[in-house]
Amino acid sequence: MAVAIAAARVWRLNRGLSQAALLLLRQPGARGLARSHPPRQQQQFSSLDDKPQFPGASAEFIDKLEFIQPNVISGIPIYRVMDRQGQIINPSEDPHLPKEKVLKLYKSMTLLNTMDRILYESQRQGRISFYMTNYGEEGTHVGSAAALDNTDLVFGQYREAAVGAAYAAKRANANRVVICYFGEGAASEGDAHAGFNFAATLECPIIFFCRNNGYAISTPTSEQYRGDGIAARGPGYGIMSIRVDGNDVFAVYNATKEARRRAVAENQPFLIEAMTYRIGHHSTSDDSSAYRSVDEVNYWDKQDHPISRLRHYLLSQGWWDEEQEKAWRKQSRRKVMEAFEQAERKPKPNPNLLFSDVYQEMPAQLRKQQESLARHLQTYGEHYPLDHFDK
Amino acid sequence: MAVVAAAAGWLLRLRAAGAEGHWRRLPGAGLARGFLHPAATVEDAAQRRQVAHFTFQPDPEPREYALETQSPLPRNFEMGQTQKMNLFQSVTSALDNSLAKDPTAVIFGEDVAFGGVFRCTVGLRDKYGKDRVFNTPLCEQGIVGFGIGIAVTGATAIAEIQFADYIFPAFDQIVNEAAKYRYRSGDLFNCGSLTIRSPWGCVGHGALYHSQSPEAFFAHCPGIKVVIPRSPFQAKGLLLSCIEDKNPCIFFEPKILYRAAAEEVPIEPYNIPLSQAEVIQEGSDVTLVAWGTQVHVIREVASMAKEKLGVSCEVIDLRTIIPWDVDTICKSVIKTGRLLISHEAPLTGGFASEISSTVQEECFLNLEAPISRVCGYDTPFPHIFEPFYIPDKWKCYDALRKMINY
Repeated sequence: MAVAIAAARVWRLNRGLSQAALLLLRQPGARGLARSHPPRQQQQFSSLDDKPQFPGASAEFIDKLEFIQPNVISGIPIYRVMDRQGQIINPSEDPHLPKEKVLKLYKSMTLLNTMDRILYESQRQGRISFYMTNYGEEGTHVGSAAALDNTDLVFGQYREAAVGAAYAAKRANANRVVICYFGEGAASEGDAHAGFNFAATLECPIIFFCRNNGYAISTPTSEQYRGDGIAARGPGYGIMSIRVDGNDVFAVYNATKEARRRAVAENQPFLIEAMTYRIGHHSTSDDSSAYRSVDEVNYWDKQDHPISRLRHYLLSQGWWDEEQEKAWRKQSRRKVMEAFEQAERKPKPNPNLLFSDVYQEMPAQLRKQQESLARHLQTYGEHYPLDHFDK
Repeated sequence: MAVVAAAAGWLLRLRAAGAEGHWRRLPGAGLARGFLHPAATVEDAAQRRQVAHFTFQPDPEPREYALETQSPLPRNFEMGQTQKMNLFQSVTSALDNSLAKDPTAVIFGEDVAFGGVFRCTVGLRDKYGKDRVFNTPLCEQGIVGFGIGIAVTGATAIAEIQFADYIFPAFDQIVNEAAKYRYRSGDLFNCGSLTIRSPWGCVGHGALYHSQSPEAFFAHCPGIKVVIPRSPFQAKGLLLSCIEDKNPCIFFEPKILYRAAAEEVPIEPYNIPLSQAEVIQEGSDVTLVAWGTQVHVIREVASMAKEKLGVSCEVIDLRTIIPWDVDTICKSVIKTGRLLISHEAPLTGGFASEISSTVQEECFLNLEAPISRVCGYDTPFPHIFEPFYIPDKWKCYDALRKMINY
């Protein structure tokens, strides 16, 4: 309803909420659970009527010249459950998750954070080539993942392919949702436009999950778009949309859970724009002090961090304490280090595998090239790092 | 919308023109010219304009391909019940067979629901339902990306790109996603059940954006297969092989043959192997290689060479562009010592260069003359200059003559 109200204000529909509501809310009762026909019915064609007959839009005439003013000052509101201190604001929105589940959320976010620190360091030490951290965005990943089923499909990018997979899941009556993650930068790609439009027209059970973290490498959102973020684009495609506080793991969880339920039940796409902040650099190849202030980064790290907020909630519930925190930090570090060292000890696969899986079967010409490399290494092998690879 | 209207326009003109590669004069076509030129030259000009540059020649029966139900491959098999089909009908037949036996198979693209701008999908939506044969929005990158997604779940995706000239917005999806899906995931995932079909090649009046042959762009992309049939019988067998192949395939359909080519085609499904060139006529003095419509041009050139020069030509249809059948071509060149390759696509970077380069590596000492390429010029595909642009039989004949006299 909030979306409809905001949208109606933006587009200043004279007919009040009813038209907007029909387009935006698509109440299941109005057309049954699984929509089997397009939402705009062909109007009875009558030349005596002064109503518009255009097939392309369901709207009334207006005789006053008026451009719609995009509203970016007062954008789509941001749904949250907890305040920055981890206190539930509206008790009816509390998901009342059991202790084990909330602890799992917390441990997942903190383990991820620990892994990030260790792997970032290892890149600096030259032990891995490249890494991207999740600092500040742990709530978006974990909150949304916690709301999905184990059989749901996850696409980390590849927006159009996600839509195709959702269509196939629908045809197979698989009871699966597809979720596709992307940033506010990737939302500028043509892929996003194609993905949104196909998902809506072909009625696919898909959640488009946009992590709006303020930057695409060095490009701030003010240079990425001029509209009201990504959530505002959804209604343009006929897609149910919501904006959430991405640093509030319960808000992310609630929105994803409800989107999942309805996407599968009603075969329609949902767009969730999770507002958050990228505390770390874009990657190990980036130094963000070149384009943003340390103060800005510190604010988010100290005042509005998804892990801190959930920890406050856990503490206030009496489900966590300093001792457990210390023990868990040690344990998670050890887990990551063990896994890392085990992986580091393994040799890399044999160079022969350079040629595998291009096709399901290896074509004759490719086999010749594979043999040519093998012969080359027999003579010139000393110039190649063969020691690190399987024999 | 304009594109669809234009395509529908050709559709109507194709229908009016009739089959067998010769085009009758369309009523009213000369009207505009009539204002500007005297009546006598209008008539001649219009007729010269509309004569096709080739004559479709069906292959003699019987053929050496097994019906799906028969294995191993018998030498001269029974084709089973056949029906006279033109190229678009043979495509419809292949699609019909696919959807009948594979319940996951779906067909999608622009305007496929009503039957398609070239009628390749006529009747399929009524027969198989609107969840299996459906229109998409006008967005080629979306069509291919969506198709990849369907294929990743294991279902069969048959995407149509309305004209090969429009495939470029989908280039990133094809090259960076589809072609690399299996490789980048170490065979954990793949989109092998994706097939992209698209009308291809010159059509007499297609101009810049309805005549292109983009196979060379895709030849440079490991991970996909590119296939081009020369006839309705070949089209059905090759298309079925593409659909069943476990790698993403692009199937280019010579649009000028949609109506111009007609022959007996089995009603039941059958497969023609991919990556196998076909020697359609044996010879001893020179090897001629082409694909799609151009096969009929070089076949005629072979007759001309026999008649006028007493030269015996070996005519080969490449059929699969990648991965291509190097062995058959080389075996032929080792025998003849001369190679001529011909395609409509521009000369520079065209697929003839790949064939030429490989053959000179493998058969250098067997060559009696430099390898000849007779191709389109390095220009965009022209509108009014099409008769001068295309590598017609006279250009091929002339190149062949020079090779013989080298």
